[in-house]
Amino acid sequence: MTTVDLWIALPLMLLAVGALLTLLVGAVTRNETVTTAIGVTVTLGAACWLLQTPPAAVAPTLGLSAAGLPRLFSVFFTLLAAGVLCLSTGYNRGRDIHGEEYPATVLFATFGMLALASATNLMTLFLGLEAMSFGFYILVAIDLKRATSGETGLKYLLPGALSTAFLAFGIALLYCVSGTLSIQGAVQFGLADGRPDPVALAGWGCLLVGVAFKLSLAPAHLWTPDVYQGAPAPVVAFLSGGSKAAAILLLLLLLPRAVDASLLRAPLWGLALLSMLVGNLAALLQNRVRRMMAYSSIAQMGYVVVALLSGTGGGYQAAAFYAMAYGVISLAAFGAISVLERQGCGETLDDYRGLGHSRPFASGVLALALFALAGIPPTVGFTGKFLIFTAAVRSGEITLAVCGILLAAISVYYYLRVVIALYGKHPGTADSSRPTLPEYLVLIVASAAIILPGLWPNELILLLSHLLP
Amino acid sequence: MYGDCYPDMETYLFYILAAVAVIGTILAITEKHPVHAIVYLVSSFFSLATIFFLLAAPLIAMFEVIIYAGAVMVLFMFVIMMLDLGRTDEAGRPVLKQWLLPILLGGIILASIGVIAAGYASAPSAPGAITVRDFALTLFRKYGVAVEIISMQLLFAVVGALYLGRRRTP
Repeated sequence: MTTVDLWIALPLMLLAVGALLTLLVGAVTRNETVTTAIGVTVTLGAACWLLQTPPAAVAPTLGLSAAGLPRLFSVFFTLLAAGVLCLSTGYNRGRDIHGEEYPATVLFATFGMLALASATNLMTLFLGLEAMSFGFYILVAIDLKRATSGETGLKYLLPGALSTAFLAFGIALLYCVSGTLSIQGAVQFGLADGRPDPVALAGWGCLLVGVAFKLSLAPAHLWTPDVYQGAPAPVVAFLSGGSKAAAILLLLLLLPRAVDASLLRAPLWGLALLSMLVGNLAALLQNRVRRMMAYSSIAQMGYVVVALLSGTGGGYQAAAFYAMAYGVISLAAFGAISVLERQGCGETLDDYRGLGHSRPFASGVLALALFALAGIPPTVGFTGKFLIFTAAVRSGEITLAVCGILLAAISVYYYLRVVIALYGKHPGTADSSRPTLPEYLVLIVASAAIILPGLWPNELILLLSHLLP
Repeated sequence: MYGDCYPDMETYLFYILAAVAVIGTILAITEKHPVHAIVYLVSSFFSLATIFFLLAAPLIAMFEVIIYAGAVMVLFMFVIMMLDLGRTDEAGRPVLKQWLLPILLGGIILASIGVIAAGYASAPSAPGAITVRDFALTLFRKYGVAVEIISMQLLFAVVGALYLGRRRTP
């Protein structure tokens, strides 16, 4: 292991050591503030380290990549984890979730995301994704006091295990065809020469099934509403923002390198259309805010698949942009929901009525996030959707683009329904409880990250156009 | 050996052992009694190990026996025996009918090992057979990161199991 290896692997090592340290310190002090502080320090430290220019693109002996796109996403993942940890302190205290396991598992899931991002072979890619999922299996069920939390955990674990089997089998089939595990080699094989290799196609199919679960694309979306409803709100923010961005990153690492990704057009097309339809139409019928957000996330991931499908026309950049935009919006939305729930708000839409008057800050952030999800300018959600549908039109996916735009217009209804409930006339109970300082901080930063790239998207788009074809 | 019209002994052995492995696994899944299921699973592991040996990977064959059939299954057995307290009625000596299938499967595996040992079938001498050194270098250098990630996963599997296994307050 050389110095360059050490340099590139340092963020991963920081997170791993941080997770172990949190467990050890937690065993001694049992003070949640200390363990969370360690977690935030470690994630921010890793983010700062990742911002430097690396000495090499690939670590020579470890085979970890330090290219632009992985580093960009790694910074995103670490910052998201820091935000989630900050949000969790107050929420967990309110819900009576104790123990150093929580911050340690968040760090571990982030470790998995970073491992996935810096993978150059399919083995590390798979193990990183699995490490992340492992973390989420624990986090989703971490609220031992709630009767439904075990059920939620099981509903995430069982389909997750199935999707893992599909992913592993898909990777094995690609390895079988190409004889190599390196992403560059394995992906280029099979789709390249004139006639598609059936084994390679089967491998890609299994891979897509596995990723469709992680992205909660219809018809592999059934776990989503239950998990979004049952898991603690900061965990949902992390799941929705982080794990989905990681799954999109996985596709972004594979698809642009495949010589001929057009063979995957039919399955991706179906997944995109079905997800947009199921997500948007089911969200219309929901009466609980979290379930509505779950179906909305299915629809949003459908838009991302439209972008992936029209990769050559700038779709990959649009997908990367939207992955991060959706992560930030999720953090803001579920951050606001966690603040509201900590202050005693229920889960149905009626419980949110009039909160805009009694709890203006958190409600304002939630409204902003909903505007962004609906794609209303000048938010990052609008820019993302604009990029996606431009790319779709440019690469000839007119049907999908039209369907997507129509369904996005329908989606405005259910997003604004929540906003109207928040600010509607309702005798709101005057409440003196305020968000804590870390909550303020995270929600302000997330709101800024929703508005600022929406107003000035050029820098990010330029950066992405350097990193992706 | 690939160009021959008549498949050689290795090919026959492979199909026989593969059938034993599949049958053993199916029986392990369908068997009601957990200890019997483990016996079937172990026989499946042994036939897999022999297949690995035929594929010129004696090291993997050894690992299969030592780690899977040895360590993991013994651990399973311990756990089952520790937990299986209330079923004393079934703890009697197994009857002949229950013996028959495992003996058959084990006999086939033993016979194929005997055939290999007698020299009728040998592992194809692959160019540059894999030594322990090569194996270790590949595992800990090329896939060193993967090993570390897996060790973190195992740690957090334990952490998660311990946390989620706590007694829940009603």
